[in-house]
Amino acid sequence: MSEPLLTGGLALLLLGTALSFLYRSKNCRTVSLGLTFLSSGLLSAFAAGMLYGGREVLIESYSFLSPLEFSFFIDRLSAGFVLLISLVTLGVSLYSIKYVEDEKSEGRKSLHVALMNLFIFSMLLVVLSANGFSFLFFWELMSISSLFLVIYEYEKPESGKAALFYFIMTSLSTVFLFSAFIGLYTRTGSFDFRGFGLLSPEALSWTFLSLFFGFAIKAGAVPFHKWLPYAHPASPSNISALMSGVMLKVAIYGLLRFLLAVEPELWWGVLVLAFGSFSALLGVVYALKENDIKRMLAYSSIENVGLILIGIGLYLIFRVSGLAGLAGLSLAAAGFHCLNHALFKSLLFMAAGSVVHETGTRNLEDLGGLVKHMPQTALLFLIGSVSIAALPPMNGFVSELMLFQAFFSSSALAGAEAPFLKVLLVLSLSAFALTSALAATLFVKVFGITFLAKPRTEGAERAREVPKLMLLGQAIPAALCILTGLFSARLFTLFGLPVGFGSGAEAEVPDMLFVGGILMVTYLLVWLSVRNFGPSSGPRVCKETWGCGGLAQHPSMEYSPAGFSEPLVVIFKKIYRTQLSSSRSFADSQDCVFEHGTAEIRLIKFFEEYLYLPVAQAVDRVSMKVAGLQNGRLDTYVLYVFLAVIALMGFTRWFA
Amino acid sequence: MILNSDISFILFCLLNPGFVLLISPLYMSLIKKVKAAAQGRKGPRLLQSYYDLRKLLHREVVYSPTSSGIMRVTPYLNLAVLLLASLFVPVIFIPEAPAGIGNIIVFIYLLAIERFFTALSGLDAGSPFGGMGSSRAMSLAAVIEPTMVIAFAALAYVLKTVDLHEMFAITSASAIPVSPTLVLVSISLFIIIIVETGRLPVDNPATHLELTMINEAMILEQSGKNLALIELTHSVKQTLLMAVLINILVPVGLSGGFSGGLTGGLSGGSNLANLAVSGLLGSALAFLVKAGLLAVIIGLFESSLSKMRLFRLPAFYMMAFFFSALTILMEVFA
Repeated sequence: MSEPLLTGGLALLLLGTALSFLYRSKNCRTVSLGLTFLSSGLLSAFAAGMLYGGREVLIESYSFLSPLEFSFFIDRLSAGFVLLISLVTLGVSLYSIKYVEDEKSEGRKSLHVALMNLFIFSMLLVVLSANGFSFLFFWELMSISSLFLVIYEYEKPESGKAALFYFIMTSLSTVFLFSAFIGLYTRTGSFDFRGFGLLSPEALSWTFLSLFFGFAIKAGAVPFHKWLPYAHPASPSNISALMSGVMLKVAIYGLLRFLLAVEPELWWGVLVLAFGSFSALLGVVYALKENDIKRMLAYSSIENVGLILIGIGLYLIFRVSGLAGLAGLSLAAAGFHCLNHALFKSLLFMAAGSVVHETGTRNLEDLGGLVKHMPQTALLFLIGSVSIAALPPMNGFVSELMLFQAFFSSSALAGAEAPFLKVLLVLSLSAFALTSALAATLFVKVFGITFLAKPRTEGAERAREVPKLMLLGQAIPAALCILTGLFSARLFTLFGLPVGFGSGAEAEVPDMLFVGGILMVTYLLVWLSVRNFGPSSGPRVCKETWGCGGLAQHPSMEYSPAGFSEPLVVIFKKIYRTQLSSSRSFADSQDCVFEHGTAEIRLIKFFEEYLYLPVAQAVDRVSMKVAGLQNGRLDTYVLYVFLAVIALMGFTRWFA
Repeated sequence: MILNSDISFILFCLLNPGFVLLISPLYMSLIKKVKAAAQGRKGPRLLQSYYDLRKLLHREVVYSPTSSGIMRVTPYLNLAVLLLASLFVPVIFIPEAPAGIGNIIVFIYLLAIERFFTALSGLDAGSPFGGMGSSRAMSLAAVIEPTMVIAFAALAYVLKTVDLHEMFAITSASAIPVSPTLVLVSISLFIIIIVETGRLPVDNPATHLELTMINEAMILEQSGKNLALIELTHSVKQTLLMAVLINILVPVGLSGGFSGGLTGGLSGGSNLANLAVSGLLGSALAFLVKAGLLAVIIGLFESSLSKMRLFRLPAFYMMAFFFSALTILMEVFA
């Protein structure tokens, strides 16, 4: 391996893992996380260099059984995702130094750090893998290390449920990937990803379906999303930041790796677009109803994965239709949104982790007024909220802007399917617009309820600002959110993407630096011109909020989070499928004298109750039947062996 | 080296926001006047909004001890954002703007910044009214968003550009509306103006302390010069949205290819410059009259309707959505 930055970075990461596995002391953990920080610095430099230079590196390495070999390949796509992983790790490693010390047992603290490093390491190697075998190997390592981190707080019953959900869904995802890669092997004789290009169109479609479902489960697209809102609240916040910010993107990487290697078909694009639109809309609609801050962020991740899938779907549709410029724009939008979501979602999860750490609750109903006690955390959370709500000139806005532009330019579509596609795109565009506006509403709610007004409980009252190192860990992604937004068009040009501004760009992206600059200037002008108005002397007046005649303002008068989302809950009641039930009994025969009654408002967990549970029950029933075969008597087993031999003989006689 | 296009853009940066800022309060009073007339009252003077703003600017600002920096920054930020947004909607002449200024999506999202921070400041003081206003405003804005985006997408479909400046250049180049479908989009745009500026039947700007209010509830805790800034922001927003509709449907008077002549005039002779200045005055006057007419229509529209129940509103929005989606469908199958 002749890439010192890459080798060095990975070696430091492994060293950090080993260190905290072997030694259980605070210093070792700090050194280990310091090594993680250093390694992500090296890796970001490496990935940025690769992206800038546009080089490609192939590393053939260890092979222990003829087709099963580890080989690695780095092109611009994988360099982009290495950059994403290491930029997020940069902040998370600093944040974790203080955050992990909250646990009581020394051993668990060290295990936390070791597993986290292993998790990061495996994600990096998934992205670098050049063949199906090493991809799956590190994919499973990634799943298992994160599974352990999900059941990190194993005493809590909710962690068990979360881990079970996560384990089953991630195994299902692996099954799909396995079948796709084995199909690749049987048809081309190798696990190498370059073999995708050699498959016949029919085999390619099956491979696509298999890979798409495998990756969609891992990325949390609706209806395979259910594990996210369970796993994220259960795991520690730094791990949520990594899982939501990075691991979901690794699945997106896998999908892109395949799609860029083959000739896609039109219906793939339509399928991906449909999944994307549904995930985006349902993700944000469910998030609005949620009052658990981390679960809400998990639903918001589903929404953002939906937006990324919309970008990929548009890319496929435009590519098949021969519109290279628009395809490039959509792909760049999807890729950039991956990076943006990684940055602001890790920031938000870390800031939410600080809030949960300080107040001891995840319930929005119990928070409030934190801006007074945790001003820096509030500012960081605000930066994350503004980015995810896609307000200019932040990075989240730029990627959504690119998606909008791709949609708006779809009048260029031509051909026999064009009318159908245009109508489909209009529908998808309206879903996308609604999603984007609902996300803004969602983050007004979360920021407003958590940080503004008065504390609703004593826990929120007692909160204090978190240590400097934790703030610094969040400041890194926050600064990146602002910088990648402002310099987006320049970055695209620098890294040689076909989008940007000025001549030479196939698709124009407005220059956010210019917009942001003018905004600064106008703000200053407004401030300067209004500053001198008003009575100049006298102290600043402070009066209690008007309380409708009440003397003192009480937190219970504030608008509650449930109240905040009530209008939307009413408007979208068809989606939420709330079940109202009431029963009454009367003391007399004429139903006049009311005796007692019950009333219940229940939110039907649609996917859980109508999709997951029936499947689980069916599996359960089949398992019970199979278990009935095992009666523990020797003669029965001899009979089974005898029947098996007969069946085998018949099989070889008739079929082979 | 300063190019002609730069001069035209710098001039535009000074003239357009300035002009919009100057005329915006006028239409607030005009609409009130029309509504008063419809109800048989005399109504305020036409310049009443200006007097109100002057009065508020000289009053002290009272902050609640519960409130935070959000409350203090929002009024300034919102006006700044709307002034930036005014660069996207030329009302007098169309400059040669750098790429991105004029992008229709950036324009929509600049309005979203204003809404986001107003809603946050509504929650900031912890008053139940503010929270109620924020919740309703954000919810209704979210539901109108697809309509707004589809309406603008319909414009982009018909006029084949995502840039408002280019759109206006195309529409002002022809005497009649470029495409009959634009008339359909205009209906949606009109409903969007009604919704975004919080007018009947969506919101009642004339009430205070009633359960019907949305926007007024959010800014209940604002006072003094901050309130003046917020009122000004609101009127600028109304003018900009009206300008979009006017420049799409009746762009008569908007100087399309004027910038060349203008800068030529500046560097050439005083004759040309005089001509340019008188042309600008003509455009400004034309916009003043057209926007006045639209304001009268809005006033009459408001007078003819009563406030809708909150949860009836999505149906009202669907109407606007229908008209803009219809435009796109007509373009697709034409």
